[in-house]
Amino acid sequence: MYEIKWYFPQSIDEALGLIKLESVIPHAGGTGILKSRLLEKIKGLVDLGKLPINYFCEENGEIKIGAMQTYNDVIENLQQIDPDSILIKALSQAASTPLRNRITVGGSVSYFPIWSDIMGPLIALDAKVTLLGENAGMYDIRYFAKNRLLRRNSLVKEVKFEKDRWRSYYFRAARTSFDYAAFTISILAKKDKNLVKDIRIVVTGCARKFSRLEDLEEELKGKETQDLNFDDIFKDINLEFRGKRHGSPEYLNHLFQVELARGLSKIFGD
Amino acid sequence: MKGVFKINGKERELTFKPHHTLLDILRDNGYTEVKEGCREGECGACVVLLNGKLVNSCQVLAASVIGSEILTVKGIGDLHSPHPIQEAFVEAGAVQCGFCTPGMVLATYYLFSKNTDPDEKDIKQALDGNLCRCTGYVKILDAVRLAIKKMKERENEKV
Amino acid sequence: MKKFSIIGKSIKKIDALSLATGTEKFTADFKVEEPLHLAILYSPYAHAEIISIDISEALGLQGVVDVLYQENTPRVLFTTAGQGFPEPSPYDTYIFDKKVRFVGDKVAAVLAESPEIAREALKKIKVEYKLLKPIFDPENAMAKDAPVIHDDGEHAVIPAKYDPERNLAAEVEFKIGDVEEGLKDADIVLERVYRVQYASHCAIEPHAVVAYFDERGRLVIITTTQVPFHARRIVSRILSIPAGMIRVIKPRIGGGFGGKQEVFLEPLVAYAAWKHKRAIRLVLTRKEVFITGRTRHPMRIKMKTGAKRNGEITALSMDALMNAGAYGPHALTVMANAGSKVLPLFNKIKNVHFLGRTVYTNLPVGGAYRGYGATQGYFAFNVHMDILAEKTNQDILEFFKRWHIREGETSEVFKALGEGKEGVSQIIKSCKLDECIELGAKEIGWYEKRRKRIRNGDRVKGVGAAIAMQGSGIPKIDMGSAYMKMNDDGSFNLHVGATDLGTGSDTILAQIAAEVLSIPIEKIIVRSSDTDLTPFDVGAYASSTTYISGAAVKKCAEKVREQILEVASKMLHSEIENLILDNSKVVDLKTKKSVSFEEIALYSLYQQDQFNIQATASHFATESPPPFIAQFAEVEVDIKTGRVYVTKFVSAVDCGQAINPILVEGQVEGAVVNGISYALWEDYLFDSNGKMLNPNFWDYKIFTAKDIPEIKTIIVNSFEETGPFGAKSVAEVAMNGPLPAIANAIYDAVGIRLYEPPFTPEKVWRKIKEEGLV
Repeated sequence: MYEIKWYFPQSIDEALGLIKLESVIPHAGGTGILKSRLLEKIKGLVDLGKLPINYFCEENGEIKIGAMQTYNDVIENLQQIDPDSILIKALSQAASTPLRNRITVGGSVSYFPIWSDIMGPLIALDAKVTLLGENAGMYDIRYFAKNRLLRRNSLVKEVKFEKDRWRSYYFRAARTSFDYAAFTISILAKKDKNLVKDIRIVVTGCARKFSRLEDLEEELKGKETQDLNFDDIFKDINLEFRGKRHGSPEYLNHLFQVELARGLSKIFGD
Repeated sequence: MKGVFKINGKERELTFKPHHTLLDILRDNGYTEVKEGCREGECGACVVLLNGKLVNSCQVLAASVIGSEILTVKGIGDLHSPHPIQEAFVEAGAVQCGFCTPGMVLATYYLFSKNTDPDEKDIKQALDGNLCRCTGYVKILDAVRLAIKKMKERENEKV
Repeated sequence: MKKFSIIGKSIKKIDALSLATGTEKFTADFKVEEPLHLAILYSPYAHAEIISIDISEALGLQGVVDVLYQENTPRVLFTTAGQGFPEPSPYDTYIFDKKVRFVGDKVAAVLAESPEIAREALKKIKVEYKLLKPIFDPENAMAKDAPVIHDDGEHAVIPAKYDPERNLAAEVEFKIGDVEEGLKDADIVLERVYRVQYASHCAIEPHAVVAYFDERGRLVIITTTQVPFHARRIVSRILSIPAGMIRVIKPRIGGGFGGKQEVFLEPLVAYAAWKHKRAIRLVLTRKEVFITGRTRHPMRIKMKTGAKRNGEITALSMDALMNAGAYGPHALTVMANAGSKVLPLFNKIKNVHFLGRTVYTNLPVGGAYRGYGATQGYFAFNVHMDILAEKTNQDILEFFKRWHIREGETSEVFKALGEGKEGVSQIIKSCKLDECIELGAKEIGWYEKRRKRIRNGDRVKGVGAAIAMQGSGIPKIDMGSAYMKMNDDGSFNLHVGATDLGTGSDTILAQIAAEVLSIPIEKIIVRSSDTDLTPFDVGAYASSTTYISGAAVKKCAEKVREQILEVASKMLHSEIENLILDNSKVVDLKTKKSVSFEEIALYSLYQQDQFNIQATASHFATESPPPFIAQFAEVEVDIKTGRVYVTKFVSAVDCGQAINPILVEGQVEGAVVNGISYALWEDYLFDSNGKMLNPNFWDYKIFTAKDIPEIKTIIVNSFEETGPFGAKSVAEVAMNGPLPAIANAIYDAVGIRLYEPPFTPEKVWRKIKEEGLV
């Protein structure tokens, strides 16, 4: 049966001290904890609600998002500064309206649950994660995502990325509209007249969890957009997908190729 | 554990266990207008407004929201003076079994609190976490449009 | 056309405001004093004998009061099917048995002071199983070496074919003419196999039962039921408690769709209550609803038709194999309806053969689900006819119009296929199907889009159609009853057994009474579905409420009207022939004098020859006039990904005289969206051991408001003279079109035939690749 003690630390140091305790974990929005049925296994919850990690600001050309910002907070705040942001596109389609009022950036970044939709855009944006505690420091998001041990006795303080003018495209492979994604595609691009000046392509949900298609990015950079045949260009990219309820590995791979071509075509279209 | 919550404008001290959700403490303390459909945040029958934000009460741990203000469907209107949204749902034929209705009404209320002139896309987005199996949503969307109309008229009258 | 004052008006549902303001109570909302909570232990195995159950450790847990299992519960066979008596479903279920027959079958139940303690105690129950070989494929269920699922005295209570030794839960066969001869006569013989999948009703309210003892020690059961009277009878029988000691109440229900036409929880709850003389609460989780609640029966249908080149159908044979799952509620009747509701539609075919078999497998249990076999049958039928029409170079709509049953016509199928006994012959008295087809075709833009494959980028447009009929109640079986009394102020209490699931039956029954008495609906106070306070009604199924319960209400109101006129004639010293009811008054057309209902009430209650104006009436029908529907789907198929987008869906329905149009539309729209998500996404996934893998909304996908297409509903009023104010029914019929209309639209768009929903993107994509279209 349940035996949970709640803690409501007033300071970061207090919080960090508490999460060092055995079977005591941080509580942000709670959706991840409830979904993974962790309540039956843990001894304590450290509520992060009072900590100074719920902010959103633009500083020195960077957008900084505190860990306790919910998806809806981020959408509303970003809307004021960058209404075309890929992050808005992605988060608006994730989960549902009431869930977006509870899912936090910090919680999502810590666990990257399959319903989160935040990983792709943040990787595309070259985001950095700032940790406090045992593994305090600033990390590239890909590095952070690959090294789960970094989370030990540490708390996410914020996620930040450079504010920039990107064309953006986001696609999620889902069944009905309220569904977790089988995979997502995030594309950021810059065009100089008809030349591909810069491009970032990130896929999440593949067998490796996420992949930035750097080879393809290199191939596309400097090319003229009218010269690109999007149906052909990456027939060699065979990202491995595991079978999901949405489809078999073969189908998901095929769908990915189709939707990537569509994404590139769209992002350079006009 | 004990905590004071302000529910539908009234302060109440409630006793609960550390693992209880907001849904548990609401239903255990008489707020049965908040429905349980799935307990997994997937159906939206349990939504309430938590400090003005629409949330699935089954996905919120009660202990983490002590001191909060909560609005259920009874908090926005009643039989004797219903809210225009509730009236709109009645007039549009959007209430069949009524189990999803409190959630739909609150989702509409939340929509209007952020956007007084939503388009069709905004409306569907606002309801994207509320399942209904009886109506096929057709008349629910009619009701939301009607509700927005009513509320705009009410706002105009005030001016 | 008839002129009504309230019939045909979209008046507000009488409970809509109370539902929208949260005052109405659903089963789980009722508070009872110190209940014991039930938690159920389910089998992890698909087929096993229970060798032993050790409940000692569970009983030792603080707060646990009892553990119920096979050894301490009544050993009485019954069917959980909420049907009239004797039920046409086999008696093959015990409250707990010594055997488990599917992953999710009941093994034991804990009674404890809190739900958490009860669930915790489940973990402490030690069960020893002897695994048996399971059977999952219905095609092999009757093989010689197939494991026998029911082998302990299970039997049918009506003379129907039932052979559990061969895992046969039901069989029905019927012939007209000679199909073999008809096929010989044909230029084209078309044979196809269609498969329709599992589905869950997904009513947003999970099942719940709350039982308690009233002040005098009678057992009161509040339950999420579509069939309160059947529930009382079945519980009484199993537990040997006199029915008079049991009261069943249906409060507000959060949707049913057939999933709550099942008495599978009440016996256990009632037994627990009766044994301990304490209140009991049981609320199912969503997972329990998916796995242990009933489902739509999966069905495999082989359709074989012979046709001449000119389109004349010379023979039709339908071979249906239905999967009952581990138990057999509705095993006979759903399967028979695949024939009895479908075959009469094309009544002019001279050679027809229907063979239906339902078999047991070790899988979740099928039950009543909106459409009730007709949905499965109409998928096969409408796709098959679409193919046949194409092969004989006809437009499917002309084909439909050429062959469907018409007013004044009958079909031998009506008499041949009943609900477990012989059916009832009838002549169609109202049918506006042609108009439905024409109006629906116009609305969808049929002629502009059909066979045109209009492109929209990578998407190709297609349109498809389907027609269907259903029934209105079960003739000579279903019965409903009503009671009315007049109050001092000229208002009336209307008590009906009929069961409002959210369908609005309380409202339309009040409308019927209000029309007869010429009063506004506010003057009628409706109470329904309480076995103590309301007269009998079979309950909400078979689309019976408007047609049968409505007729009972009409009869009852007419008797009340007679009494009102009698009193009024005394008061006014008038001849009854000169009196009419008009707007809560009785008016003498000759003298123009009038007297109000209130005055009549006061007079009759207090002043002269005192009596309470009141009446009761019952009704059962001798026919079951079908509603008719034509449904059209417009799809866009993404030829690269195989994804099917339903962009528009049109239904044109003839339900007789619509009593309340906005409620009729609501019924159609709800069934349509249910049908569309069923066609595209819904299915039960199993592992190789028979465990259901997606018992949640996470992986069993139904539509949200964001997914729906443009939906149009057209009501084509006909007038059914045998129905109350011309009404038939509308609850189920709209469920039958979406699957085939979408399948036919996909064919129109990309030329591939799909015989097995759900039409997932991968399925469509593979078929497109296979047939080399892209």
